Amino acid sequence: MKKSLKFFCLAALVGCSLLTVSSAFAAKTIKVGIVDTYSGPASTYTNDVRDAFALAAEKINAAGGILGRQLEFFTRDSKFKVGLGLSAAKELVMRENVDILMGTINSSLALAISDFAKQEKIPFLATFAKSAKITGENGHRYVFSMNENTAMIGKAAAEGLAKRPYTSYWIAGDDYEYGHAVADGVWENLKKLKPGVKLLGQSWWKVGEPDFTPYITAILAQKPDAVIVATGGRDCVPFLKAAQATGFNKQVPFYMHTATEISTLKPLGLNAPEGVIGTANYHSYYPDTAENRAFVAEFEKAYGRTPAVGALYGYITAQFISRAYTKAGAIDTEKFINALEGLSVDSPVGKVTMRAEDHQVMLPMFMGVTTKAAGQSVLIAKDIVTIPAEETMPSLDEIRKARQH
Amino acid sequence: MELFTGLSFSVLCIQILVGLSKATILFIVASGLTLILGVLRIPNLAHGSLYMIGAFTTYSIATAFSQSSLGFWVALLLAPLAVALIGLIMEQGLFRFLYKRDHLMMLLFTFSFSLVFADLVKMIWGSDYRSLAVPEIFQGSYLLLGMPFPRYNLFLLLLGPLFAAGLWYLTNRTLLGKISRAAAVDREMVGAVGVNVNLVYAAVFVIGCYLAGIGGALVAPTQNITQGMDHSIIIEIFLIVIIGGLGNVWGALLGAVIFGLTDAIGILVAPQFGIVFPYLAVITVLIFRPKGLLKSIW
Amino acid sequence: MIFGIFGKKSLPLVTLFLAGLFCMPFVTPRFYIYLASVILVTGLLATSLNLVLGYGGMYQFHHAVFYGVGAYTTALLLTKTSLPIWVAFASAPLVAALFGLVIGLICARLSSLHFGMLQLSLGSLLWVIVYRWYDFTGGDDGIHGISMPAAISGTTSAYYFILIITALCLLLMFILIKSPFGRILQALRDNPERCAAIGVNVTWHRILAIMIAAFFAGVAGSLFVTLEGSVFPGLLFWTLSLEILIMCLLGGWFTFFGPMLGAFLIISLRTVAGNYTEYWTLILGLMMMLTIFFLPKGVLGFVNDLFRSRSPDQPLEESSHATDKVSTKIV
Repeated sequence: MKKSLKFFCLAALVGCSLLTVSSAFAAKTIKVGIVDTYSGPASTYTNDVRDAFALAAEKINAAGGILGRQLEFFTRDSKFKVGLGLSAAKELVMRENVDILMGTINSSLALAISDFAKQEKIPFLATFAKSAKITGENGHRYVFSMNENTAMIGKAAAEGLAKRPYTSYWIAGDDYEYGHAVADGVWENLKKLKPGVKLLGQSWWKVGEPDFTPYITAILAQKPDAVIVATGGRDCVPFLKAAQATGFNKQVPFYMHTATEISTLKPLGLNAPEGVIGTANYHSYYPDTAENRAFVAEFEKAYGRTPAVGALYGYITAQFISRAYTKAGAIDTEKFINALEGLSVDSPVGKVTMRAEDHQVMLPMFMGVTTKAAGQSVLIAKDIVTIPAEETMPSLDEIRKARQH
Repeated sequence: MELFTGLSFSVLCIQILVGLSKATILFIVASGLTLILGVLRIPNLAHGSLYMIGAFTTYSIATAFSQSSLGFWVALLLAPLAVALIGLIMEQGLFRFLYKRDHLMMLLFTFSFSLVFADLVKMIWGSDYRSLAVPEIFQGSYLLLGMPFPRYNLFLLLLGPLFAAGLWYLTNRTLLGKISRAAAVDREMVGAVGVNVNLVYAAVFVIGCYLAGIGGALVAPTQNITQGMDHSIIIEIFLIVIIGGLGNVWGALLGAVIFGLTDAIGILVAPQFGIVFPYLAVITVLIFRPKGLLKSIW
Repeated sequence: MIFGIFGKKSLPLVTLFLAGLFCMPFVTPRFYIYLASVILVTGLLATSLNLVLGYGGMYQFHHAVFYGVGAYTTALLLTKTSLPIWVAFASAPLVAALFGLVIGLICARLSSLHFGMLQLSLGSLLWVIVYRWYDFTGGDDGIHGISMPAAISGTTSAYYFILIITALCLLLMFILIKSPFGRILQALRDNPERCAAIGVNVTWHRILAIMIAAFFAGVAGSLFVTLEGSVFPGLLFWTLSLEILIMCLLGGWFTFFGPMLGAFLIISLRTVAGNYTEYWTLILGLMMMLTIFFLPKGVLGFVNDLFRSRSPDQPLEESSHATDKVSTKIV
């Protein structure tokens, strides 16, 4: 399946060069430039974004394109390096003349590209970068976020955890912006919702920590009621593994964003710990609606694997692009942005809306607990509680305050 | 400091044991690096890549035998051999011709290798996370002093001294070890007395790579097998080798223990700044003993 | 002399080349002007590294630290203070040189690999600090959207600013290499024992060289901020240091313009190849191996030798001895 994708990209490239040669005759296309990490551990997530976007684009093109124009895209590998990714974004804008920039799981790079997009007046649709600064403090007219951010994770998790009986907590996480932002978000909101909670202490490890056993034993020694684990990306898997080996999940309940997500659970198979509280934007099996089933079937048919959360982001991004241009009625950046503000599209998780004020997409969050399911080779989430987007979005006041800063 | 209140004797003991089991992997990988550094004088930046390849190969072999619980043990046997074979090809095909070059050249040459290996791993295994189950007999944990201690970590803890003894035997009691130690000091003299130095070099390089492969295989069940494993270990083992004394196997052991312990205990006393401790230890050692704690061959 | 190839004939050539670079914005599309700016900044960084690496014979493994320090100094002064912009630009190289002094003091008494590894661990510690000091450096997110005065913002204006500063720095470094200090530095590389015996203070000369190299790396760092308007911890990560080492080696580390050529080759490669494949680092790796195997003195060093072997009456330069010297040391 990878091969066919590569072929597709190559075909797109060849097509593009042909188009530039015969541009006088051929119709113009809408060009989207995707800069993302396609090397290293983060590519587990980014490949799904790109593949779902490609699938949706193919469908849009087959149905006649957008306002009669075909949607084409170019990808550039940033290798998780900010300098490299920024150069690539500039190349896409200055040389390929893309209409829209998209991508990146790397928050630092997303912020850098966002700033460049602002100068160039090119819309930048951020996929997967979770920093709340993108649409908060550093937000502007040309940047849109297509996924949940740390502020929303914090609110959703606090909401779910406040309903549980724990009072003394320990915070542990990846020692980088994402980890701290999630931990602070959860904690600030939790304190508001449940004033009696108390923080016993915190531990932070470096990103890419190979063995979590020392941290876990240190945490167990403090005997907290529950632990907030603010770890992201590739560290989720080894943490769950260490939790399973030490029986951590059986002694102390813990919460981790994406713990119930398939990207995290799949590598562990049936050796993943049960009873872990997690939140995620998307499950291939929940909500069990016709749209979601159709989306999963289509994705599985094309790529031979179950779509993870990145696929949702890639899919809605393509939908937003297509619908916004159609609504604007012209291929024009300013009109496109006006149309995108407040726009709603259908998605596998239901209708999702792009909030007009801060350009943050409103996605529901699902909180569940990991469990083994009959006949499944991967753990799934049970007791899923849907936390609607309205409850997790940062308030407009908060956004205004952050942007004044 | 309220952080110290919960610090009981049993916690400290467990933490030290965990640190030591972590040090085992570091020691095994670093000893391979230091052997190559000491005898062949190659600062092998591709050592981390070989460790990563070892882990991925272990995953592939173990999952091919997924029906049998022996999968991991077969992989533990075969994967390091595969890595050693890659090492043999590297040494005989390329490094052999470069021994007269400057260290910096060798460093960059091995760095080029790490670039190539990183992309090859991506081509072969793709970008998904891989995770290998701990072999059945080591699943779960023992209760030591009232604290859970994973059985697999205990297994690692027992392996460490075994490897140290094996390496001691290899370097001090076998002909190969003696020749290679002599070759490390004066290559031409050893050649002059009729020893095939090239063969010795090849053997040492292959053993070094084998150790990287073993390290990768042993670490596979405990962590995420993913691209980027190479980068995250290479600087650590280089620092270990440096503080121990270049080319000194015992130095690698000492360095690994220092690294593992400062890491584990740092977490306990100042969880927020745990990551700084090993680096501070390295800098302290190097300021007072710039050539490392034990005698460096260089 | 300036090219290390053509002797005195090179002055008009350099002038012509500079004139070409000055006219570039009139004829080339915007992207290539940006690309040229990236190459100039990175090339300046690599050339500054080569002062200590190629000419000083020191294993400066973590040169990017000074680049990052320069960039962060500029960025922090611009965003956190209301000091005039020239202060931000002037302090970057000075602060970088100060870091050079500190790191030099700790490392300079060591030799070869020990020197490099100690520098690497000190640099990694600094990287950790930048990476996690959220309130001050912005942590791993870095600082973005640093605005520049209109005179030097925008692709073309930034390009001219970078071109002028880079040319000036290269000239200064060239004069330095031809100065008595530069000669001593090269003598230290080739035979430190003899230098010490005739009364040269080896350690202080090395520390001074590190400081000067750090100074110019700091300039490159502040030029980076001018160009990209962003700083992030990756600017002082060890892999960047190795990348610029590669540039020096590929272009030719015993020639003055080698590092600049190396920067040009590698940045062009990743821009062109990056459009077609995700695997351009594989190509880079293979290219490096071939270079090390067949052109140990780098591309410019090779051209240099080629030219010299055709005209044997030209006096041999010390640079050609260097590889032989360094390589015989370990045999």
